[in-house]
Amino acid sequence: MTEMIKLFVNGEEVEVESGKNLIDALEKVGIEIPHFCYHPALGADGNCRMCLVGIEEGRPPVVPACKTPAKEGMKVLLDADHIKKIQHDVMELEFINHPTDCPICDQAGECKLQDYYMKYEGTESRMRVPQVKKRKVQDFGGGVIHDQERCVACGRCVRFLRQITKTGELGLVNRGDDCRVEFFPGRPINNRYGLNVVDLCPVGALTSADFRFKQRAWFLKRAESICHGCSKGCNIMVDHNKEKYEDDIIYRIRPRHNEQVNGWFMCDAGRMTYKSENDNRLEECTLAGTVRPLTDILADAQSRIEKASKALFLVSPSASLEQLVAVQALAEKTGAAVSAFSDGYIVKDDGDDFLIKDDKAANRTGVDLLSIAKSRTHFDNMAKEADVFINFDNDLSRSLSEEQIGKLFKDTWVLNAATHPGHLGTAMAGKAGASVALRSWSEYHGVVVNCDGIAQKFVGGVMKNIERPDIVEIAAGLGSPATGAAAAWALVQKKIPALAEFGSFLELPAEGVNLTDNEAGK
Amino acid sequence: MAAKVKQLPSRGGTPAEKVYLIEIFKGMGITLRHFLRNLWDNSNLYVRHYPEVQPNIPAHWRGRHRLLTHSDGTPKCVACFMCQTNCPANCIMIKAGERTDGITEKMPVSFTIDLAECIYCGYCVEACPEDAIRMDTGIYAFTSSNREEMKIEMDEMLSLKGGYTEEEYQKGLEDE
Repeated sequence: MTEMIKLFVNGEEVEVESGKNLIDALEKVGIEIPHFCYHPALGADGNCRMCLVGIEEGRPPVVPACKTPAKEGMKVLLDADHIKKIQHDVMELEFINHPTDCPICDQAGECKLQDYYMKYEGTESRMRVPQVKKRKVQDFGGGVIHDQERCVACGRCVRFLRQITKTGELGLVNRGDDCRVEFFPGRPINNRYGLNVVDLCPVGALTSADFRFKQRAWFLKRAESICHGCSKGCNIMVDHNKEKYEDDIIYRIRPRHNEQVNGWFMCDAGRMTYKSENDNRLEECTLAGTVRPLTDILADAQSRIEKASKALFLVSPSASLEQLVAVQALAEKTGAAVSAFSDGYIVKDDGDDFLIKDDKAANRTGVDLLSIAKSRTHFDNMAKEADVFINFDNDLSRSLSEEQIGKLFKDTWVLNAATHPGHLGTAMAGKAGASVALRSWSEYHGVVVNCDGIAQKFVGGVMKNIERPDIVEIAAGLGSPATGAAAAWALVQKKIPALAEFGSFLELPAEGVNLTDNEAGK
Repeated sequence: MAAKVKQLPSRGGTPAEKVYLIEIFKGMGITLRHFLRNLWDNSNLYVRHYPEVQPNIPAHWRGRHRLLTHSDGTPKCVACFMCQTNCPANCIMIKAGERTDGITEKMPVSFTIDLAECIYCGYCVEACPEDAIRMDTGIYAFTSSNREEMKIEMDEMLSLKGGYTEEEYQKGLEDE
């Protein structure tokens, strides 16, 4: 528990956490101090002067809130006339050369200049001389597009690339109204976290080439999710929208703040995982090569499992805890074997010491917590014995070659439930006895455990035009005791006692539950 | 302020009116009078001979939409989506893309208005920051036997001309 201190804002007493600067401390209690250059992850720079606040009976009487720690008994002035005038004048300065091209600016709707203009300025421009013209569409590399005219020279992007990625591609050059962000000629942004500067930029100076002109920010619906690109489990915001007469598709993925996991950032590869959620998805359920309703396929599969001498279920290491227990419970009931064999999900030497991990599976820790076997030998032995094989969205083509898969399941009846085609290789596509198109992670809710043993909930907000089943529904249809999401979650809580204290999975705290001290660490 | 209430006398209560037959003949008499009058001379007819005689459409009338162009023929629209955002009928569908003619950075790739859904409220015209869309074509009649044909595309809206001079249009806005 952090220590609390009392201070006064506009004469009213508020209680804030100590050890923070005024911007962060007051933001926690809902008092906003406008700022451009300060960012919690990058520290105070003090160049924008927007956060100047008055201190009564203090020396100096006006201080930048980003560089001033909250102190006991401090008397902060936010609505005094001279502070309002400072805010108004700083905004007027920012607007001198601002092109005000909001109609074509992707930042419109989530732009600090727009918000602060409405709140702190709101007057007509007094400029009567022509504005300074600068470069408009400048490719900064790494999928970042720069507009020099919109820049407020806060230096957040420069500081991010120097402090966080330590690559330092960008710098502020020149002074006064000629000040601009530039890269050294021939050395554009070239690192795996470059697109974070787009989120950091408080205005529309840095925009994403990938998202450019795709949607206006206010049309986007937001879903709080967890990135399934690797085992780090970065907290993300999935921005999606269903346009009229079209399908619900994701337009971008942004990082969501979680100090315990990813801080404020995420990698560029994780941002691009939305593309596979939109495109090249399986759409139909087939049985022996013909399109059939799901109930027929499940009925057929269920009778085959009953008759089989041995059945093998392969689960994905990216599946949620609910999905894993649903399949596991089905296996326990039918005497089948469960494997989470997924050696191919681990890409050697791809990870780094920041966010990217070698393991590209979102829930391998969860697989271990539920004691699901994942070794190659176990999988090979079981595959040889089994005469019914059901794949629950494990991309086996990552781990085994097409010949190996073909050889393993030569005489086996195969049900391939998958989100995307090609999980069993192209050769097996025609041979599979049945296939089911599954919901993907942006479309279902659940809980995954990341590489550090932190269990995190995620919400799938995307509603596709084609209704696809979830793995929990399929397992239930095949006779699993976990008859639905709620029953599956109850089973999860039974198997992982550390999660038992929470009601539904939605009651998990936003920052996740660290299981390291309880289960995952042993 | 309280609303002004005008009490109309209740009709149809007298015995003569309750018989109905007398009233029917009175009505027939009126019909006959109009018939005979218009038979000799139809110049003061109460209805317009549409479509032979077209109505006079004032400049502030909200008719078919058109997209305006700069003097060099390039579209004024920058695909800011203000019209689509404000449209209460949700009948405007825009796809934006990169603009390469040097005027600005963004332009619509497709701009569709579903006239079957449009309620001609004019919010799109008011919301437009570039004066790129107007409803001043004076076209008020538009029919189709097919829903798809009721959608008008960007090329068609760009090719339409305004039905009034600029002064008439601006004055029409003031009248409104």
